[in-house]
Amino acid sequence: MSRGDSLALRCYRAGVALYPRDFRRRFGDELVEFARARLDAARSRGRVAVAGRCAQLALDLARTLPAQWLAAAHGGLPAARFAAERLQAPPSSAYPRHNMDILANDLRFALRSLARRPAFTVVAAITLALGIGANTAIFSVVNAVLIRPLPFDDPGRLTMIWGTQGTQSNLGVSYADYVDWRQLNHTFADMGVLRAQSVNITGRDTPDRLIGAFVTASLLHTVGVNVARGRSFTDAETDVATTAPVAVVSDEAWRTRFGSDSSLVGRTLTINGTPVTVIGIMAPNTHLPLGFSVDVMVPIGYYPNAHGLDRGNRGVWVVGRLARGVTLDAARRDLATIEKRLAAMYPSTNAGTGTDVHSLADDTLGPVRPRLLLILGAVGLVLLIACANVANLQLARGAMRSRELSVRAALGAGRGRIAQQLLTESLVLAVVGGTAGILLAMALVPALTALLGPQLPVDDPSSIHLDARVLLFALAASIGSGLLFGLVPAWKTSRTDYSAALRTRVGGGLRHAATRSTLVVAQLALSLALLASAGLLVRSLVALVHVDPGFDGSHLLTAQFRLAPSKYDTPAKIWSMFDRTIAEIRSLPGVESAALVRASPLSGNGETYPATVLGGSAGNRTDSVALQLNGVTTGYFATMHIPIVAGRDVATTDRIGTQPVIVVNRSFAEHSWPNESAIGKQIHVGSIDGPLTVVGVVGDARHFTLNEQPLLQGYIPYAQLPQVFTSVVVRTRGDPLTYTKSVRDAIWRVDRDQPVWRFRSMEQDLDAAVRSSKTTMVLVLLFAAVALAVAAAGVYGVMSYTMSQRTQEVGIRMALGANARQVARMVLGEGARLIGIAVVVGLGASAGAARLLQSQLYGVGANDIVTFVLVTVVLTGIAVLACYLPARRASRVDPMVALRSE
Amino acid sequence: MPRPDPRDFLPLSPVVLHVLLALAAGERHGYAIAREVEETTGGQVRMGPGTLYGSIQRMLAAGLIDAARRRHAESDDERRRYYRITPLGRRALELEVERLARVVRQARASHLLPDPEPT
Repeated sequence: MSRGDSLALRCYRAGVALYPRDFRRRFGDELVEFARARLDAARSRGRVAVAGRCAQLALDLARTLPAQWLAAAHGGLPAARFAAERLQAPPSSAYPRHNMDILANDLRFALRSLARRPAFTVVAAITLALGIGANTAIFSVVNAVLIRPLPFDDPGRLTMIWGTQGTQSNLGVSYADYVDWRQLNHTFADMGVLRAQSVNITGRDTPDRLIGAFVTASLLHTVGVNVARGRSFTDAETDVATTAPVAVVSDEAWRTRFGSDSSLVGRTLTINGTPVTVIGIMAPNTHLPLGFSVDVMVPIGYYPNAHGLDRGNRGVWVVGRLARGVTLDAARRDLATIEKRLAAMYPSTNAGTGTDVHSLADDTLGPVRPRLLLILGAVGLVLLIACANVANLQLARGAMRSRELSVRAALGAGRGRIAQQLLTESLVLAVVGGTAGILLAMALVPALTALLGPQLPVDDPSSIHLDARVLLFALAASIGSGLLFGLVPAWKTSRTDYSAALRTRVGGGLRHAATRSTLVVAQLALSLALLASAGLLVRSLVALVHVDPGFDGSHLLTAQFRLAPSKYDTPAKIWSMFDRTIAEIRSLPGVESAALVRASPLSGNGETYPATVLGGSAGNRTDSVALQLNGVTTGYFATMHIPIVAGRDVATTDRIGTQPVIVVNRSFAEHSWPNESAIGKQIHVGSIDGPLTVVGVVGDARHFTLNEQPLLQGYIPYAQLPQVFTSVVVRTRGDPLTYTKSVRDAIWRVDRDQPVWRFRSMEQDLDAAVRSSKTTMVLVLLFAAVALAVAAAGVYGVMSYTMSQRTQEVGIRMALGANARQVARMVLGEGARLIGIAVVVGLGASAGAARLLQSQLYGVGANDIVTFVLVTVVLTGIAVLACYLPARRASRVDPMVALRSE
Repeated sequence: MPRPDPRDFLPLSPVVLHVLLALAAGERHGYAIAREVEETTGGQVRMGPGTLYGSIQRMLAAGLIDAARRRHAESDDERRRYYRITPLGRRALELEVERLARVVRQARASHLLPDPEPT
């Protein structure tokens, strides 16, 4: 409750900031104190009373803001004469008459006058509902993702500790380094290790694969993972020297995989072939950093990768909780000092490496924040354009109503009163539009969640919904747009000289022409900026889709499996299994070629190791670089259609005991041996013993993302360093996904207990790689289209209104001999002037928008002339069309009819 | 500058009338004025902060009321500004009440209002 109140008070404070400066300075504090007292008094009477008070405060603001600005525009108040004049009750109004009466009166009047012109009301309300609805829907996503705190205790102190090497950052770190950091640092309350990896669970009906995490007890402590049943790990259980065979199961896995069996604690599971005892079940809704969801946690000591915990192997992630009051920079400096000492002690593994500390929030939200803000900005522009449109409609209406308003003025209604009344109408309209907008948002959110959900760092997509904060946003957006589209017309209309209006019979139609034209120019200019942004995103996406990934993704099936390390406990056993498996798959009918690769491109897997080039003279080491290393069987490059540029493929003759070899990609060869042949050169990689000799150079292939800078890549023969996890790539005739069963059966012919998962076609992975760009592009394009439609309607409205006001003039011109063509040209010329100004302003705005957009662009510059020209043509075309229709109508006017109309 | 004539302010707007009535009983801060008005009118006149302070601003400028910043005996809140009625304000209020009384007498004379019950 108190949170709701303080939020309401904060909103009110923001409202008070809108008063003219003098008034705000003098009474601002008192206004807020007043509102606080009101809200406090209402609080004891429940939510409804508080909501009622909020509504009253909002109305009070809406009614007194224009009055204060009007007063300020009259040169401030100290003039006593003005003060006295204003103090009197308007002689025309029924006396005595209090505030609420006036308000009720205004409301009644507003409703009546809106109901009298249903066409205007419906068009305006729909325009607003579109704008507010779209904004509310997008804001509900922003709220769920960016505004709500991460689901951890004191999340502000949680950090990720990443490795760096040269220009590469966000690398994994080594377990051995972590042990030293944890012991030597002065800035962290605690830190823990996390290495997520699928695990095989056997000894049950069918072999199964769970998402596992190899962790330290300190990870659960650092993150704040609670155990609902049983207990958590002890430090000794996860210490590598004293590792115990224990496991903690997630609440979800307990419910879905083990049928909520309460006797699971104490039972033994066979994980990766090792029997482990379940000691605990995590509490429901337990979260791990970076959105990881795992089924089972086991001590880091069971990490199955060969040498996985060595100092040279940077494969684990470290989560740290800063000590209280410690800044990220202090933590970075602390770790850098330790790293320097480690580099001196272990030069072979630690020279040239470093660390960086990121806040968990940045790492979690960093990738989506700019995209979401971009989408929010785009949809915000749509609302602005909608407001400009409604303001224009209001002005047109104000002009048509000038006789009605003149009568009211003649009867003694002051300017302030008329402005207040018009503003009340706007606010009523805004509330109607806002309500429809909220309903629209409710309908949009599920679609939006389906579209965006999988790409967002939210654990539970249902957390994207209209909560109190979103509704408050919708209310603020409604009132804000009501003020926005209501103030200018109220101000302009109330300043009309009504005595003049009463004297003439034409309703003062062209009076607000300049204001209306300005609004149209603003609409068109904003639309152009949105269109340009959408255009740049479209071109980025096209560039991204057309990126040559370096391999041929068609007709490729991929899958993954991981051998149980206890069953395949020697390199020879692993290799023998791989060898037989690949032979089985290659012999399948319809399979053109097949190979094993540790991490297939765009699957999300992949490892990076420090590599050093061994120079000509013995032992002369150069600086290490980050090498993306993969293990492959023969035929991998042929299967992927990655060209062999020089030397040879890995061969069946490369096996344990023969000379260790490596195939590198072109970028690595050119980086390490410019202007020289790479063949025969030697490099040292990570914790692999001894030098590797380069026997081949192949083309670059994109691995993690399509828009990454070319990576330095190396491929070693699986036979020389087999590891338990592998992917399989199969080039097939026809649809690759139809081979899923036969490939699985082929693997099961070698080992019936082997789980195999993630059967995907490479085209699916390629699609997934562009999906987030596609979503952003689709949304921005959609908003740009809506904006353009609204703006075109605005142009059309202004032009046809102007023409209707000038029917008489047109009639005279035609009677004097102007032909239809000349009249049409006159009208179009007027439109062209507006469009021209809008294009100039809009291109300026587009250049600004493009700069903000830059981080989301790929393969196209922010100042892409082609895009700008194209969107200008589109906008101009549609705007000219919107002018043409009224022009044609004007040119078909029968001069006699036009002249008689007066 | 000529002394302002209290008659210039008549008739008073309802908000001004009620604020002056509330202040006639003693000095008050803004929220207390609003509460007093609400109570004495049985909730019929309810003022939002913007409305109240808009009127206060004009009444200050017209010299009908003035303001004093002071510590209250019980609540030690320095921010509170207390408003009190000036002699000019009191005079305007009296004139307005007399005017209203005349209106009521007139209404009674034309039998628009029942005569007061004898007590």
